[in-house]
Amino acid sequence: MTVRIVTDSSADLPADLVQQHGITVLPCYVVVDDRTFKDGLEIQPDDFYRRLQADGGFPTTAQPTVADFQEVYRDLSGKGYQVLSIHVSGKLSGTLNSAGQAKESLDGAEIELIDSQLASIPLGLAVLDAAIMASEGGSLQEVAEKVRQRLHMHHGLFALDTLEYLHKGGRIGKARAFMGSVLHVKPILRLQDGEAHPVERPRNRERAMRRLVELASELAPVLRLAVVHSTDPNRMATLKQDLTGLLPADQIIEARFGATLGTYIGPDALGVAITQEPR
Amino acid sequence: MDQLRGQELKQAFSAATDCLEEYRDTVNALNVFPVPDGDTGTNMLLTMRAAVKSVAEGCPDGQDHSADSVCSALAQGAFFGARGNSGVILSQFFKGFSDALNGVECLTAQDLALAFKLASAGAYKSVGKPVEGTMLTVIRMASEAIQGPDKDVLSLWETAYHASREALERTPQQLPVLAEAGVVDAGGLGIVILIGGALRSISGPDSPMLVDLSQLSLLQGGVNRTANPIMPGFLEASLEQNWGYCTEFIISSANGKVLNLELVRGHYLETALSTVVVGDERNVRVHIHVKDTAPALSYAESLGVVSEIKIENMDSQNQQFAPNGHGSRVKGPALALLPVAQGEGLAHLFRDSGCAGVIEGGQTMNPSVQQILDAARDTGAHDVIVLPNNSNIVLTAEQAAAAEPSIHVVPAKSLPQGVAALLAFNPEAPWQENVDAMTAVLSEIVSVEVTAAVRDVELNGVAITVGQYIGLLDGQLVTAQDTSEWALRSTLELAGLNSDAIVTIYYGAGRSGSDVRQLSSELEGEFPGIQVDLIEGGQLHHQYLASVE
Repeated sequence: MTVRIVTDSSADLPADLVQQHGITVLPCYVVVDDRTFKDGLEIQPDDFYRRLQADGGFPTTAQPTVADFQEVYRDLSGKGYQVLSIHVSGKLSGTLNSAGQAKESLDGAEIELIDSQLASIPLGLAVLDAAIMASEGGSLQEVAEKVRQRLHMHHGLFALDTLEYLHKGGRIGKARAFMGSVLHVKPILRLQDGEAHPVERPRNRERAMRRLVELASELAPVLRLAVVHSTDPNRMATLKQDLTGLLPADQIIEARFGATLGTYIGPDALGVAITQEPR
Repeated sequence: MDQLRGQELKQAFSAATDCLEEYRDTVNALNVFPVPDGDTGTNMLLTMRAAVKSVAEGCPDGQDHSADSVCSALAQGAFFGARGNSGVILSQFFKGFSDALNGVECLTAQDLALAFKLASAGAYKSVGKPVEGTMLTVIRMASEAIQGPDKDVLSLWETAYHASREALERTPQQLPVLAEAGVVDAGGLGIVILIGGALRSISGPDSPMLVDLSQLSLLQGGVNRTANPIMPGFLEASLEQNWGYCTEFIISSANGKVLNLELVRGHYLETALSTVVVGDERNVRVHIHVKDTAPALSYAESLGVVSEIKIENMDSQNQQFAPNGHGSRVKGPALALLPVAQGEGLAHLFRDSGCAGVIEGGQTMNPSVQQILDAARDTGAHDVIVLPNNSNIVLTAEQAAAAEPSIHVVPAKSLPQGVAALLAFNPEAPWQENVDAMTAVLSEIVSVEVTAAVRDVELNGVAITVGQYIGLLDGQLVTAQDTSEWALRSTLELAGLNSDAIVTIYYGAGRSGSDVRQLSSELEGEFPGIQVDLIEGGQLHHQYLASVE
C-alpha cells in the first residue's frame, strides 16, 4: 500500500511542490472583516495583507474542522492509501486535535499523526521530506518513524517587523521577552520545541537580514533551503541571493506566509527554513 | 594620650563626618571635569553618614564599646552605604581599618599604625588599576608617615594629618589632568578633611593643637597651571579602560601543595582587571576580567585543581517555580535585568524592553550599594544583571555584586552602552553567557554625551567657557560649542558616521522634539545612508546622549 502525506495550509508550501509530491493540504480558516475564508483557496496573500494593513481590527484563524479531516481521510483510505498526517505544532494550534478526533471516528483507516513542532515553511520542508521518504517505499509505521527521527533536522528562523501581531494573536509565548516598541527593533525568532523563541534584537531591517543569513549559515551543511516573505518579494530575493553560499539559487524554495501565518507574523516579515544534511 | 576608647573613636568619626559636610561644596567644586561629574564630596559624605549611622545603631550611647566593635560597625555601614567610586574606596579603607582592630578594646599607637596600613592596602585593592595623585596616594602617604617607632596616639594622628595634606598638595604633580585644571584631587581633599576632622575631635577643645581646616579651601588656588600632556581623568583612569571576559573559578590545593593567597592575588592584579581573590591555603576563589581566559586558567592549573569555571547552573526554565514544602510558590524570573537610569523616558525604555525594574540614578545622583541590593531583591529573580550605565556607578555595582553572589554586573559606563547591552540580552540564556555577550557589545558602540560646562577651563586642548556645551566622545572631552545641538553634531561628526551607521539620540528634559528632528534630518542629509532614531530620554544633566553603532 502506498503512503500519502496530508498537511494543513499553515505549512505555506508552494502549489507546484504540493502537486509534484501528491500532498493533500487542508485549508485553515481565516476570519477577517467578519468573513470566513479558506486559507489559500478563498483568500490569497495579496488580498489578505491588504486587509490586514488597512483594517484596524485584527483577523483570527481557526483550524480545519473534524469534518474536514474526516472527508480527506475517508477519501484517501477509500482509494487504498495509508495516511501520514503532519501538522503545525500542537503548542501553536489545535489542528492536531481535529485530526485526532477524525482519526478516532474512522474505523479501519490507517492513519498516523505527527506533531511537527514546526510552522510555516519549516513545516513545509518537513512535509516535503516526508513525501520523499514515503515515495521511497516502506510501511506507514516505518515511514512515520523515519519522519519523526528527522524532525530535529528542520529549522526555522524569522525576522519580524513587529511582535504586535504575534501578541494580539495570542501566540507571543516566549518571544514576549522581546516586546517593546521604544527602540524599533526587528526581532529574530527561532522555532524550537514547538514554539517561537527570542534570539536577537537587531536595530534595523538590514542588520536583521544580515543576522538571518549568519544564523542560517551556522546550520550548514544544508539539504534543503527555503526563503519566505509576507509582503516584500524584493527583500526576499536579496535574502535568497545572500544564501546562495549554502545552496545554488535554483535549488532554494521560494515561499510566502499565507493568511494563517500572516495573521501572526504580520507585514514585512522574512524567514528562512532549513533541512540540515543528515550526519 | 596612650589610647582611644570606643566612645572616643565614635565621636571622632562623627566629627569627621560633620567636617566633611561643612566642606562638601569645596570638595565637589574640585571635580576634574568642568561638569558636575564626580560629586566626590557628596558621595563621600553619604558614605560617611551611612557608616556613622551604623555605629550609632550598633554601639548605642551610654554604654561602653570596644574600638573593634565601633570600627566593625563603621566598616559595615560604609560598605552598604558606599556611593560612587570615592565612596567604594572609602568603604574599603574602613574595612582594612576595622580588620586591623580585631579584638582590640582600646586603640593604641601601635594599633593605629597597623589600622592605617591595612586601610591603605584595602583602598588600593578596591580599584582595578590604582592611579597615583588621587585619594589613594593621600591615604598611602598618611599611612606611611605613621609607621615606625610607637608614639602616642594623638601625635600619630597629627602626623597622619600633616602627611595627608602634603600628599594632597602634590597630587597635581602626579596626575597631569589635575594640573591642567588647576585643582588638587577632590577625593584626596575629602580624606584630609576626614583625618583632620577626627583629629580635632580627639585633641579636644582644650588642646593647644588647633587644627585649622579653614586653610583647606585655599589649596585649590595654590596650584600652578602647567601644560602637561593629557592623561585620562582620575575617575576614568581608576576604572578600567578595556573589559574582556568575566571569569570565575576556584583553585583547590592538590598533592599537599599549599596555596599562597597573596601570590595568586598579586598575579591576577597584574594580569587581569576587576580582580577579586579570596580564600585560604586550601581553596582560593578567583574573579577576574581578562581579554583572554586561557593564560589566566593555565596559571591557575599550575597551582592546583581548578573547578567551578564560569558556573552556569541556572536553567532559565527550571527556576520559575520553587517548591517550599507547601505547594509551589511563584517567584520572579530566573534572570532579570536591572539598569540604573534617570529620566522618565529612559526608565520607560528599559521597562518597555523587558527589564525587571529600574534603579533611579545617574549623573550627580549615584545609587548606594544598599539601593542596588534592595532593587535586585525586589525583582524576585534568581540572578540579576545590573547595568550601571555611568562610569561613576560601575564600582558601586561591583561592590553590590561582591556582597550578593546572585548579582552580576555588565560594566556599562554610559547609557548608550547600557542600551547596547540590553539589546544583547537573551532571557533564555544562563547569566554567565549573557554577561559575556553583553560585555562584549559594550565596545561595539560609540557613546556621545553633551552637557553644560560649569566653569571656565582648558582641558584636552579645548578652551571652555561657563555656559558652553561640551561634547564627550567615549568619555573624552572633544568639543565645546555655544548650543547643545552644535555640540552634539560636532561630536557625532568626530565619531565618524559610516553609511550604514545607526545613530540613536536620547534627548534630555527641556529639549524639544522639533529641534532634534531638524538636527536629525540635517545629519541624514549630510551622511547619506545613516539611520537616526530619536528617543525622548528625559534625563536631567545631559542635554543629549547618543550612540553610534
